[in-house]
Amino acid sequence: MFDLIILFSRYLFLFYIVLFLWQAIVYIAYEQGGYLGSPSHAISIQKGLIIWLHVTAFLILSYEPGAFFFNFKTLGVALAGLIFLLLSMMLLDKFYYEGCPLIWTGMLFLLDISLIMLQRLKPALAIRQLVWMTLGIVIMLFIPFILRLIPRFEVFEYVYIIVAYALILSTLLFGTSKYGSVNWLKIGFVTFQPSEIVKFLFIFYLASVFRKRVELKELLITGTLSAGIVFLLVLQKDLGSALIFFMTYMVMLYISTSNEILFFAGMGAASAAATLAYHLFSHVRVRVAAWKNPWADIDGGGYQIVNSLFAITTWGLLGSGLTKGMPNSIPVVESDFIFAAICEEMGTLFGMGIVCLYIMLFFRGILVVIRCQRRYYSLLAAGVTTMFAFQAFLIIGGVIKLIPLTGVTLPFVSYGGSSVLVSIMMIGLLQWVNVYCEQHELGYQDSLQQKSSTTKWDGDGFRE
Amino acid sequence: MKRSAQRIFWLITLIFFLILVAMAKLVFMDRQEISSSAYNPRINYVDNSVKRGNIRDSNGDILAESIENADGSYTRNYNRSRMAAHITGYSSKGKTGVEAAENFELQKVHNEVLQRINNIIKKEPVQGNDVVLTVDMDIQSIAGNILGNKKGAIVVMEPSTGRILALQAYPDFDPNTVAQNWEFLKDDEDSSLVNRATQGLYPPGSTFKVITALAALQYYNDWKDFTYECTGEAVFENKVIHCYNNRVHGTVDMKKAIATSCNCYFAELGKRVGAENIRKKAEDFYFNENYPFVLAHSTSQVALQKKSEENEIVETAIGQGKTLATPLHMAMIASAIANDGIMMKPYIVDHIQYYNGDISKTTVPEKLKQIISVEEADIITDMMISCVAEGTGTAAQIYGVDVAGKTGTAENATGSDHSWFIGFAPANDPKIAVAVMIENANQGGSATPIAGKVLQAALQKYQ
Repeated sequence: MFDLIILFSRYLFLFYIVLFLWQAIVYIAYEQGGYLGSPSHAISIQKGLIIWLHVTAFLILSYEPGAFFFNFKTLGVALAGLIFLLLSMMLLDKFYYEGCPLIWTGMLFLLDISLIMLQRLKPALAIRQLVWMTLGIVIMLFIPFILRLIPRFEVFEYVYIIVAYALILSTLLFGTSKYGSVNWLKIGFVTFQPSEIVKFLFIFYLASVFRKRVELKELLITGTLSAGIVFLLVLQKDLGSALIFFMTYMVMLYISTSNEILFFAGMGAASAAATLAYHLFSHVRVRVAAWKNPWADIDGGGYQIVNSLFAITTWGLLGSGLTKGMPNSIPVVESDFIFAAICEEMGTLFGMGIVCLYIMLFFRGILVVIRCQRRYYSLLAAGVTTMFAFQAFLIIGGVIKLIPLTGVTLPFVSYGGSSVLVSIMMIGLLQWVNVYCEQHELGYQDSLQQKSSTTKWDGDGFRE
Repeated sequence: MKRSAQRIFWLITLIFFLILVAMAKLVFMDRQEISSSAYNPRINYVDNSVKRGNIRDSNGDILAESIENADGSYTRNYNRSRMAAHITGYSSKGKTGVEAAENFELQKVHNEVLQRINNIIKKEPVQGNDVVLTVDMDIQSIAGNILGNKKGAIVVMEPSTGRILALQAYPDFDPNTVAQNWEFLKDDEDSSLVNRATQGLYPPGSTFKVITALAALQYYNDWKDFTYECTGEAVFENKVIHCYNNRVHGTVDMKKAIATSCNCYFAELGKRVGAENIRKKAEDFYFNENYPFVLAHSTSQVALQKKSEENEIVETAIGQGKTLATPLHMAMIASAIANDGIMMKPYIVDHIQYYNGDISKTTVPEKLKQIISVEEADIITDMMISCVAEGTGTAAQIYGVDVAGKTGTAENATGSDHSWFIGFAPANDPKIAVAVMIENANQGGSATPIAGKVLQAALQKYQ
């Protein structure tokens, strides 16, 4: 009987994510001048779906087939998670009045997937992840206040880059090794990845410099300093972060200058640098070899990727059903390879839904970039959005063997305190830019109002 | 700024679409190959609520079935035991053979929701899918009985489709008792668990001469006029080549050389064709390259290079040296010659049969590639006919049917030669192709008469 329920739940999960994405389309259609349904209604449905997803998954996870009853400890986590979700939904709207609701629901959906999968994979980690999430949301709620307290924080460009370098260098001196990369710092009981914090500083620094007119001098200085950070990260064997920083630099440069030649020249230089790194560093060669033919070295370099492919392909489109697969046979499944575990148990179609969800979040981020009139804020949003999207691409692409594997976390979903905190705070920053621009820029509101007035007004009294 | 941001959006959305495409490719195209790997821990996962499907032969007879125990779990029973052991494989202590290759199909439940509901209401078992093979147990048994307890392998194929009708190898094992005998089997000196037909790599000996001959047809323009005065022995750079039993063949052309299996002729021909050309032709025939086949199989090897020394070239030309091939692969080569030069993809699963009797689409034969032209295939066939009609292969003759074939005697490290035969019949309209390999055959039993009997039996049914 329970088998049948798990079997059925696979369709249910697929239904949840498809309906969730459809409601996003309904909302976007309204905004773009079409009408598929009421947008505020769509957001309510999305919120409901998150709760349903949470309840369905945790009922399956906490059921004990032999004992014909539920595991109380798991139910406790479920309840704590439910309270977290409900409180977040309420508070986020209050603290970020007029933030983009799709970004909120998308983020909460992913956070809930994270909770479900961690409870499934390593139950001890789920509750810890929940603590990090709560902390992240609490800190995020205060971002608007903090940013209001510091007027014109764009003038501190040198502070940002100096602190960034200090943090990166400190890992070289005092760092501890974890998963083969020397990019962790230990202070007391807490180990964290400084490169996660540097992400923030890096975006702030670049936005501060690029808000002004970019001349050759700025180009050289930012280029050299960014290349330095990327180089230090490669030295620490943190190839994923190195790539993310590089792409963020290129995108922010391109968005602020609109210069294609510069963009392609940068890409060309990066290809040359990558080739050089391939010949210079053995850890780069190992990664590439494991990507080209993981089957040649199944017990060694290819082990992770091969096991990930087994997980994704074995059960097909709908997956094995929650708790029915063997995702724990994949190394570091709770962090880098969590996407493979999702595909295994909830199905590859569901995994594709998650990819679409990232596309949707990315789309909303770029929309903020485009709408915002102030260069500095627009650039901040651009930095956050690309960093976030490219990170998701790197790890998902690596897990499915589209590109060589680089150990980065899947934003919001992978286990990891620094990762979750920084991801949530980045979304906070993006939303703050969104809110700021809506409130302070007349043109911004006008353009929105114009759109609304030309479209059908629905009875629910949609806020914009 | 607005336009550049839009462009970045499209760029990154594009790479996300690449992810979606790659995922679809994984699930729709690469799934079977990746998931049935022996390294996949999920292959040993047993869902006790599902009754694993049967493996059936082409007549519908059951080769492997699941029998319910008193406690509701299932035991796998292999009705034909050793006779089909290397085809079904085993399913305790890991999985091999069709049990491994079609593991997920056997475990997959058609109309799962309906079956599960029936299971609860009517207590009917939840039934996995049956895998129906192309193997015909009639022929498989004949091959097994003829092979007896001689170490070796027999492969019977249909040249025009690539269907495998029999795949016999000895030593074998009883799949019903693999778990009990595991301690013995796992370090068995005879490697009984290894399927010699698909995984055994042997020097192909004179059967490889068809490849050397085909290389000459393409790369050595004077092959028609080239004759050789065989004295039973020929000296090359630090290598002396003997004909079998030092027999003197006199003046030989290619046809006579194939028929009499003259080593001296082919050593000289190989030298003239050149190392690279022989290797190129062999690689056209899937030496040094894996071909698609669902059961675990080895890749045949030929080790010639531009700089190869003369002794290596002449040894390879007669199928010795570092040249190695599997019996299945040699059967595919015979099939390609029989099928006007087209090599078909070998396959062993004909279709899937569901619990309610419905069947999936039958496997459609697939062409691997046109390796040689129709004319070249005809020329070689003609030579192979004379091999059986008046040469070394007379023991494979069948009354009233023309057989084309090539014999082989392969020297090897054991000191006692392996015996080979590859061929097909009827020569003018081939229905059946075979490859027979008997290890250390001079202790009794050559491959040629065995091949004749197997061909005859198969033709009686399939002509």
